[in-house]
Amino acid sequence: MQEFVDGLIASGAVPAGVPAWVAYLGAMLVFGGVVVFGFVLPVAGATTWVERRIMARIHSRIGPNRTGPAGFLQWLADGIKNMLKEDIVPTASDAPLFKLAPYVVMLGFVGAFVAIPFAGPLIISDMNVGIVYVTSVTALVVVGILMAGWASNNKWSLLGGIRSAAQIVSYEIPAGLSIFPIVMLTGSLSMQTIIGHQGWAPWDWHVFDNPFATLAFVVFYVSALAEGNRTPFDLPEAESELVAGFATEYSGMRNLLFFMAEWGNLYVIGAIATTLFLGGWQIPWALTDAPALRVLLEFVTFFGKSYFVGVLVAIWIRWTLPRIRVDQMMTMCWKYLVPIAFVNLIGTAVWMVVFPHGVPAVRWALTAAAGVATLGFLRRVRYHIKRAKLQRKHLSFNPLSTARVPL
Amino acid sequence: MGLSGFEVSIERPTNGGGLSTEDMTLSMGPQHPSTHGVLRFVVRADGEVMKEAIPDIGYLHRSIEKIAEKVGWHGFIPYTDRVDYVAAMFCNHAWAAAAEKLGGIAVPKRGEYCRVIADEFCRIMSHLISVGSMAMDIGAFTPFNHAIREREYINDLIEELCGARLTFHYMRIGGVAWDLPPGWIEKATAFLDRFEPLIDEFDDLISFNKIFTERLVNVAVITPEEAIDYNLVGPNLRGSGVKYDVRKDEPYSIYPEVEFDVPVGRGELGTVGDCFDRYIVRMREMRESCRILRQCLRQIPDGPVIAKVPRNFKPPAGDVYYRVESARGDQGWYVVSDGTAFPYRCRIRTGSFTAISMIQKVSRNLMIADLIAVIASFDLVAPEIDR
Amino acid sequence: MGLGGYLRNLKEAVATIADGLAVTASHLVRKPYTVEYPDRLPDGVRIQDTLPFRYRGILEVDLEICTGCLACERACPIDCIVIDATKDKAAGGLVMTRFDIDMGKCMYCGLCSEPCPTGAIHHTPEFEGADYSLESLVRKFVKAPAIAYKPKKAGETDPEILPVLERGMRYVGEFASPDGAGEKE
Repeated sequence: MQEFVDGLIASGAVPAGVPAWVAYLGAMLVFGGVVVFGFVLPVAGATTWVERRIMARIHSRIGPNRTGPAGFLQWLADGIKNMLKEDIVPTASDAPLFKLAPYVVMLGFVGAFVAIPFAGPLIISDMNVGIVYVTSVTALVVVGILMAGWASNNKWSLLGGIRSAAQIVSYEIPAGLSIFPIVMLTGSLSMQTIIGHQGWAPWDWHVFDNPFATLAFVVFYVSALAEGNRTPFDLPEAESELVAGFATEYSGMRNLLFFMAEWGNLYVIGAIATTLFLGGWQIPWALTDAPALRVLLEFVTFFGKSYFVGVLVAIWIRWTLPRIRVDQMMTMCWKYLVPIAFVNLIGTAVWMVVFPHGVPAVRWALTAAAGVATLGFLRRVRYHIKRAKLQRKHLSFNPLSTARVPL
Repeated sequence: MGLSGFEVSIERPTNGGGLSTEDMTLSMGPQHPSTHGVLRFVVRADGEVMKEAIPDIGYLHRSIEKIAEKVGWHGFIPYTDRVDYVAAMFCNHAWAAAAEKLGGIAVPKRGEYCRVIADEFCRIMSHLISVGSMAMDIGAFTPFNHAIREREYINDLIEELCGARLTFHYMRIGGVAWDLPPGWIEKATAFLDRFEPLIDEFDDLISFNKIFTERLVNVAVITPEEAIDYNLVGPNLRGSGVKYDVRKDEPYSIYPEVEFDVPVGRGELGTVGDCFDRYIVRMREMRESCRILRQCLRQIPDGPVIAKVPRNFKPPAGDVYYRVESARGDQGWYVVSDGTAFPYRCRIRTGSFTAISMIQKVSRNLMIADLIAVIASFDLVAPEIDR
Repeated sequence: MGLGGYLRNLKEAVATIADGLAVTASHLVRKPYTVEYPDRLPDGVRIQDTLPFRYRGILEVDLEICTGCLACERACPIDCIVIDATKDKAAGGLVMTRFDIDMGKCMYCGLCSEPCPTGAIHHTPEFEGADYSLESLVRKFVKAPAIAYKPKKAGETDPEILPVLERGMRYVGEFASPDGAGEKE
């Protein structure tokens, strides 16, 4: 973005007397506003609609389908409802902390979008410590959640806050350790450079570069789910146990901020996973030369990949798996994920020493293995569908089947 | 938070290496998403690990036993539905059978078959809710919806049979109120054909899921001796390895004429008597119920379904203790008659009441998340505890 | 727990989770079971018409065939039926001046419809009874004082009452009776 603003100054679009730093600041605010209000909030809101529809189909029901076409405006209606609700601040709570907590959580979540690429040239700030910045900023939510849990003056919220702090802080380790193999492969921390190091084809992605990178992707995804407080790691907001965990005492807009941060975080997870492992916004050169079309296709590719991996798969996992208990979560992190992440780290380093330019055969083999696994999985899905079709034949759920005999 | 008379001392500094700590007293209050009704637990916990969870009951007490003395023998049957509304047919059955025993009335064979068919469908309904809620409490929300979907089919069948979906009032003193409507047996058999593969799908989805089993295995192990000491019944008792089922050991109605097994917890994934055993016993009991239903639907004889009972039913003075194997275990009804049209006393002994008394003992050194699993695995329903 | 146990844990976790994911994925392509009541039903279908005959909905009284025997009032355990019937030689029989059923108290048990000799009081498949005031829940069936019905031994001949009586007797016949005369296979 800096080059873009420099170009604006050079071409005289900025008045002469204005110092450069003011131009930069203005551009930051404008771009930040566009990204936040034009992309982040609608995506977070629409994700609630997507989640409710997918969850409903998994449950054999329909989901919101009245407000707007296919219920698409449901999230707007929910947002308006939440804004109009009474804002309750419990008298015995620590009011300044209580009011500040949702904003810290939102900060931790929105702050990551500064360094997330949207397409080739579309990134607000391509920092040379990009990936480290993103992981650090997303860790700010811990502070917000602890504040919320403590300030609510509610033992259940406190439990939720403490659990969440333990969880997020612990899972930073395997997440970080899984990022290092990719950084080593690329040789840089900058997001655009990492994407540039990959290609458009699946066998050019980092995830299929060597078996340790594939494992690193799995470890990273699981850790990122844990950091995002998603089932199976949603202890801090375990609905069956703690009502809403750290967010129990929050009503109205403050509550909405917490949950928007959770759903938007899914996209951040997907974006980071796509950047690091799945080839980012890379599209084949042969497709087109026109720069505007390229940017559009790259944007669609990146958005599609991160939405699928980060949001759709996470929703699917959430509505399948039960919740892990606190001590089991800790066991999983420290006894399973961290050792595996270390093995990945050392394995990738050894691989890079032994095969400095990678092994194309291994890449193709890994891609083929992934394809075979997907096909096997789809076969199992087809088995379940076939079994279900058999059941529908036996009993038609027709409300007219128990029709009353006419008088 | 008032503790209303509980002798729980809150401040108890424990000296863990120089730091003085306190136990936290939480009230898992009457309104809670996962206490299966209106129950309250006062939990004394050291962080996540509980020292004790003391149940506090009575929020759903409706004096049903006293109402029996006012409304009379026939009028009480709708109230028996409300004793345990998740599995209401068993309560109907027990009351009607107790009154018949007092009055010396014989139920026709077809009536007994209708009763058992209704009972076993109700058992499936109740177990569906039980395993669905258990999965939901552990965090998997999907199996609950699938279980409720199947329960809706049974609800439709029972609606055709007796007109209501929850508070059935199907049985009368002397038999049942309505005979099976035309075409019902075909519909019921079609449902069973549909339902049995779905139990397998439920198993694929959740029963042996690693996370689910890790939450339940080796949690709250209850040895057979403890289970008997604390008066556990039904799947709770059978989950601990004790093979006791009223339908086999003190058979009533036409159960001697049907073949079925009694599943018992074997500790296959952990220890005998842990939460997983109680859960898997319920899944297996659903399959056994399907077996019983198929036999009953095939061998049901012709004939009347209700015996002649005067509207002004006055059984001779005396008392009777009648037990049925309800979904939650051995449900015992002690009914005393004094020769008038109104019972003198009715006392109901339910499985959930004793199960909840076991929670205080079992909850030592469990985590709060485990308490939820234990409550769910005992299949407590608040209306049965408080009546 | 040695390396074998560690790897076995991992393998079990992956296998069972993948199976669960397959089940959920299969649900995504199956049709949902929701019946979208009340505004997206198939054309011309009233959900009340699809309920079974024995459905115990809101009570209704066909006063033309009510014999004034008060069996329903006696049978109700909650005392939600109030009937005023007085013998009036001049009018020619039992005159009913009040037949109120408090649906707010009613528990839809069916104890009242069982002893009715003509099926005058019966359950309908109506269940939408919500209203804005408690008084509106009390259903009053007597608009003007009416003479109770006297069943004729030779069968009913009045063309206005006959269909109502036949419908009522259908309700009565649905209940099982000790001589096996209830509806059967």
